Amino acid sequence: MDVLPSEEEQMLKNLAREFLEGECPPSLARAMELDEIGYPPELWKRMAELGWTGLALPEQYGGQGMPLTYLAVILEEAGRAIAPVPLHSTMMTALTIAEHAIDTQREDILPRVCSGDLILTWAFTESDPRFIPEAVNMQATEDGEHYVLTGTKMFVDNLEASEICLLACRTAPRSADSQGISLLLVDTRSPGISGTPLTTLAKDRQSRVTFDGVRVPKANLVGQLNQGWPIVQWMLERGTALLCAQMVGATRKDADMAIEYAKNRVAFGRPIGSFQSIQHLCADMTLWVDGAQMLTYEALWKIDQGMPASVEVSQAKAFCNDKCEAVVRSSQSIHGGIGFMMEFDLHLWFRRVTSWTMRLGTSFEHRANVAKALLDTPGEVRLGLPLITVP
Amino acid sequence: MDFGLTTEQEALRDEVAQFIKENVTPEVMAELESSLEGGRGPHYDAMMQKVADRGWVGISWPIEYGGQGGNRIDQYIVEEEFARVGIGVGGAGSGAPAILMAGTEEQKKEFLPGLLNGKIIFALGFTEPQAGADLAGLQCRAVRDGDEFVINGQKMYTSAAHYATHIYLMCRTDPDAPRHRGITIFLVPMDTPGITVRPLWTIQSDPPAPVGTTYGMPRTNEVFFEDVRIPVSTMLGEENQGWYVGAMGLNLDRVGASRYLISVRRDEDIINWIKTNKTNGHSLADDPAVRDKLAELWIEAQVCRLMTLRSMSIVERDGNFTYEGAAEKVWAPEHGVRTTETISQILGPYAQLLNGSEEAIEDGLFAHNLMGSFQSGINHGSVQVMRDQMARRGLGLPRG
Repeated sequence: MDVLPSEEEQMLKNLAREFLEGECPPSLARAMELDEIGYPPELWKRMAELGWTGLALPEQYGGQGMPLTYLAVILEEAGRAIAPVPLHSTMMTALTIAEHAIDTQREDILPRVCSGDLILTWAFTESDPRFIPEAVNMQATEDGEHYVLTGTKMFVDNLEASEICLLACRTAPRSADSQGISLLLVDTRSPGISGTPLTTLAKDRQSRVTFDGVRVPKANLVGQLNQGWPIVQWMLERGTALLCAQMVGATRKDADMAIEYAKNRVAFGRPIGSFQSIQHLCADMTLWVDGAQMLTYEALWKIDQGMPASVEVSQAKAFCNDKCEAVVRSSQSIHGGIGFMMEFDLHLWFRRVTSWTMRLGTSFEHRANVAKALLDTPGEVRLGLPLITVP
Repeated sequence: MDFGLTTEQEALRDEVAQFIKENVTPEVMAELESSLEGGRGPHYDAMMQKVADRGWVGISWPIEYGGQGGNRIDQYIVEEEFARVGIGVGGAGSGAPAILMAGTEEQKKEFLPGLLNGKIIFALGFTEPQAGADLAGLQCRAVRDGDEFVINGQKMYTSAAHYATHIYLMCRTDPDAPRHRGITIFLVPMDTPGITVRPLWTIQSDPPAPVGTTYGMPRTNEVFFEDVRIPVSTMLGEENQGWYVGAMGLNLDRVGASRYLISVRRDEDIINWIKTNKTNGHSLADDPAVRDKLAELWIEAQVCRLMTLRSMSIVERDGNFTYEGAAEKVWAPEHGVRTTETISQILGPYAQLLNGSEEAIEDGLFAHNLMGSFQSGINHGSVQVMRDQMARRGLGLPRG
């Protein structure tokens, strides 16, 4: 046991930070808020050249086969730099394809992800924002060698940039259990798909996507027909843990800015950072982001070990939601008026972290998952020993 | 990064758990409960001898001073299992780290083996009536007289003084120097003439708190020093360097399983109680508000555990704390208070009932914990002082 980053992990982190500090200034995040595709292709290409997009993908498809904790280090640094790149949606989807798709699908997709030539996204949510099987209503009807999709998906990341979307739909009539859900690889330029950008707090690229008789070849099915729910859970678990890493990175930077500001801003004849009210707030912010970081990496480490980690992921996201928000809100408070002026950069972090607290499961949803494992299982609980996960 | 135990460590944990099941008998527990001296008695001593025979005491301490020369994680595993039944075996909180760090060879040989086998117990003589959070203001005087020092003054809240063999005593040796540079630490036998111990009874003294209560100690003490003469050789570290020796030693003393366990045991207890108890056919496990709150506290408790693992990882790498020790000492106590107060709102009027009340839940454990959990945010450095340390030493914020 050694919960600190290894030498190699630290090196990767330093490299990523150095690269992004040089190549990804806040002005880039600002510019991309107004951009039509929302990311700078040159930066994405260079990140791929550094091996980041293939870091946790299998070697046989051009990746490096490293653990998720390594990929999380990259996402943490990307979060720190609020890098406007479609890394999270691409990795969450690519990892799922690497694990659950068949060889021909992998061969088609993964090498292009590793080389930076293919951007991916996923689609689950419709009108009901909960991550439960009942929330999936979009029907895929069979028509010869195709499925035909009709319906609407919400909060689809990076639609404009993505060529392929991994989509959850119903291939059997809606029922209360998890049966009848399937996953399809959908070409985002298929006829009948239209995306409408959503105006979000983060001003990132999320869309409402309508599917009007969209034809998808049956060969694009990922996993077994009607058995898609466990794959969805697999994907959400990793996506959630990686989003936590991104939140931790952005939140840490946001806290750093507040601490730096407190050292320099003078009021009542002295730096405001010399007042205990500010000092203790900065100490609390450090506790919160440290806690978020350790919960996140423990969850990722457990996933890497092949251990059940649903509870750990929920622990991390619930804590990140509450505490990262508390940090960025406190940072705004320390900065005072200047912190919410458009010309000052702080809001770029505030708006993103705040937005991410609402993605991939709210605090209530994740705590409900933890509560199930604590209360609806036989036997005593003990801190530090695994809980039984209730499906 | 590695958050797991090795197979050998898992086996060690099982072995210790099994040992406790077989050897921590009702007789041992009775001695632990009835004694105001932290477990004294023939059954207790015999059990502790077996623990020592298995090499489970001071696992990470150097072999030449009675330890096993092993690693900190193994020690943590053993400490945790014993701490769960209210028994301390690790040497944490004993002042030993400071002796290891700053003691002379003679002092290490004299004290460390005894600290490990429980024959030597140190009381911590830091706080004074006028020097608590602002410890550097301490006034207890030690005046050099040839090969001796003569001590006059008073210490307060000296918890172990009534059964300790020695006191780890911080005194002012140079009243003219800047406050932090005129302090020296002495290792003083409690039977030295001129030392008087007077009890101070805590709010846990009547009725006595059940075993396992966070800060359930019924008694602490005032200690008076009147012309107490001690040889120069009792000095720990250099003269007038005591502040720095003490600060480092205290930080290291805080690292370990028992420190965080006192703040998280009630999280387990309330969940396990709710799982096995119904009132009037109703289970609190069905209440959505209770479920959400318990999950929130459980997640916070995980952070307590992880902060402890972080501190141990730093120690194991021979690193220095910048703020991590202080962070643990803020987060865990305040978490313990949140849990205990939440439990009182979950159980309602039954959570008022103290030990001995017929209807008390778990012998009044939760009620007594309400009187104890906040103490962990005061003792050994208050959460306010710890936040000061985090901000100034850890984050580099300027002094006021």
